[in-house]
Amino acid sequence: MTKLLEVMDLKTHFHTGSGVVPSVDGVSFDIKKGEKIAIVGESGSGKSVTSLSIMGLVGSPGRIEDGKLAFEGKDLTKLSKKEMRKLRGNEIAMIFQEPLTSLNPLFTVGNQISESIKLHQKVTSKVAKQKSIEMLEKVGIPRPDKIFSSYPHSLSGGMRQRVMIAMALSCNPKLLIADEPTTALDVTIQAQILELMKDLNEELETSILLITHDLGVVAEMVDTVMVMYAGQIVEHTDVYTLFREPKHPYTKGLMDSTPKVHMLDEELVSIEGTVPNPLSMPKGCRFHPRCQFAMDKCVSEQPELMELNDNHKVRCWLHEEKEVNLHDLVKS
Amino acid sequence: MVKYFIRRVLQTIPVLLIISFIIFSLVFVAGDPVALMLPEDASFEDVENLREALGLDRPFLVQYGSYVVNLLQGDFGESFRFNQSALPIVLDRLPATIELAVAAMLVAIVISIPLGIWSATKRNSSLDLLATGGAVIGKAMPNFWLGIMLILLFSVTLGWFPVSGRGTMLHLVLPAITLGTGIAAEMTRLIRSSMIDILNQDYVRTAKSKGIHDFFVVYKHAFRNSLIPVVTITALQTSTVVGGALITETVFSWPGLGQLLIQAVNTRDMAVVQACVFVIAILVILMNLFADLLYRLLDPRIKYN
Ligand SMILES: Nc1ncnc2c1ncn2[C@@H]1O[C@H](COP(=O)(O)OP(=O)(O)OP(=O)(O)O)[C@@H](O)[C@H]1O
Ligand code: SF4
Ligand SMILES: [Mg+2]
Repeated sequence: MTKLLEVMDLKTHFHTGSGVVPSVDGVSFDIKKGEKIAIVGESGSGKSVTSLSIMGLVGSPGRIEDGKLAFEGKDLTKLSKKEMRKLRGNEIAMIFQEPLTSLNPLFTVGNQISESIKLHQKVTSKVAKQKSIEMLEKVGIPRPDKIFSSYPHSLSGGMRQRVMIAMALSCNPKLLIADEPTTALDVTIQAQILELMKDLNEELETSILLITHDLGVVAEMVDTVMVMYAGQIVEHTDVYTLFREPKHPYTKGLMDSTPKVHMLDEELVSIEGTVPNPLSMPKGCRFHPRCQFAMDKCVSEQPELMELNDNHKVRCWLHEEKEVNLHDLVKS
Repeated sequence: MVKYFIRRVLQTIPVLLIISFIIFSLVFVAGDPVALMLPEDASFEDVENLREALGLDRPFLVQYGSYVVNLLQGDFGESFRFNQSALPIVLDRLPATIELAVAAMLVAIVISIPLGIWSATKRNSSLDLLATGGAVIGKAMPNFWLGIMLILLFSVTLGWFPVSGRGTMLHLVLPAITLGTGIAAEMTRLIRSSMIDILNQDYVRTAKSKGIHDFFVVYKHAFRNSLIPVVTITALQTSTVVGGALITETVFSWPGLGQLLIQAVNTRDMAVVQACVFVIAILVILMNLFADLLYRLLDPRIKYN
């Protein structure tokens, strides 16, 4: 598969009154055509800031300090505002966590979908309307021509998220960024929306960057996973490898704290401690204050993202000399 | 929606009744109306005869009852200064006041919308500081002072505009600016804070993520939303605007309701005072109804029940 987006050493920092917050601190990954990839991590790890950086929507006091965002070879950080607007909503689209507040309450659903279509495809209102209704139908909205002229407040959260998806996909984007698209929805609706996104990914060959803190959603949805902690990627591999054999203690912690159907009566362990204060990141490995395997080296030196093999990267000193199995390590 | 407004109009009836009661009582507060109508050397008998002739010896509530009946026929009594029915005198002055109010509102809108939006989008810039500072000063300046300063500068010294009166567009400029400045200051402040709030909403981020130009994000997606609280609060302030109009009209000898009212109060021309107050009250009620209508047109979430 060819690369659609290459993120290279992205650094996005916020310059606040109390100091510089390195929300995204040297993140690199790439997304191939048609690939579904996820970023997981606790709240505050920098997932949203990463996606907003790709969209060019990091607002002040935030700024992309360094790094490259190559989208089909073009560096997004070098594009003019106008060129960026041409991509946004057209080649790269985004849906957000809050379906209830992400649509403008004063305009009809149809107005908001056709607005994108008219903007990027330069078609007449009539054609845009037709296309919008088609999209509404595609995302499984019943009576799409009626919903076209409804206002968002008359729709449920699940329906509104479908509308958001219809809007995001209306211009056939090559990349869809979905920032916690189902977090605010209840479980059944959540499953339907994920199913819909999977179907559309197959049908339209849209690459998907899914952002979530829910490993269950990851297992459902994607091919590749990146685990993010304190602004950095700490593990990066395919979804099967990650679940079978997590190499980073943080990933393992996340998994142990995710409820699984077959362990109903086992105790749920959560990772002790909290996400570090971004204004004073711990020296050495950023995870060391919470890590059960921490060694002397971890306190003084920051590990790089090491390649275990073509398909597995991890940022942890444990694997410096040879790959170790965390499950064995716990037992011994 | 039509139904809703019919109900709203019907709801104003009790309000109008209360107002009629207050203006009716005004006469008694102001002193003995009969004594006012007669020369100072009139005998006690003359006074009592006139009182009886005017029906002012009847019980208070009976008098109020017949007052309301007269009101319903548009009869507020005679102005003794003009020797004619009070209402037509008042209605005659109405267009001048409306002209002034509309012009002042235009001044306020033309200044406050761009300034409010601008300072919200460029927060803490020097323009924002200038706008917020200007709003504080504009709000603090009393109408009569601003009016006199404008007259001194633009009419007396520069001779650009007439000093007073009504007639040409030139006559309108200074009074409209005088009355409009305070309103503009308040609206700028409101629009700014409302816009700052709206620009942080999720749907504004959605609009940006669609690749919409910043200009349309601000004017299409944010501005209309920000107007909702602005319309509501501005409507609540119509009475302040009416107060400002009274003073402005007096400063510029603008032949409107305000000037008439103040003259009538000074000469104790009670019928005219009462008719003026009543007409002004109706104006305020109409303004509120209009704001309500506008509010409902702006926001599709509002239900009519
Ligand atoms: N406007 C801002 N000003 C200052 N700091 C910010 C701002 N936006 C984000 N940050 C900081 O960036 C860090 C990462 O935030 P981000 O929103 O990317 O987290 P996240 O991983 O998406 O979390 P969540 O799961 O809660 O959405 C946080 O520590 C936050 O404090
Ligand atoms: S580097 Fe050390 S502290 Fe960090 S995760 Fe690995 S073992 Fe734990
Ligand atoms: Mg987030």
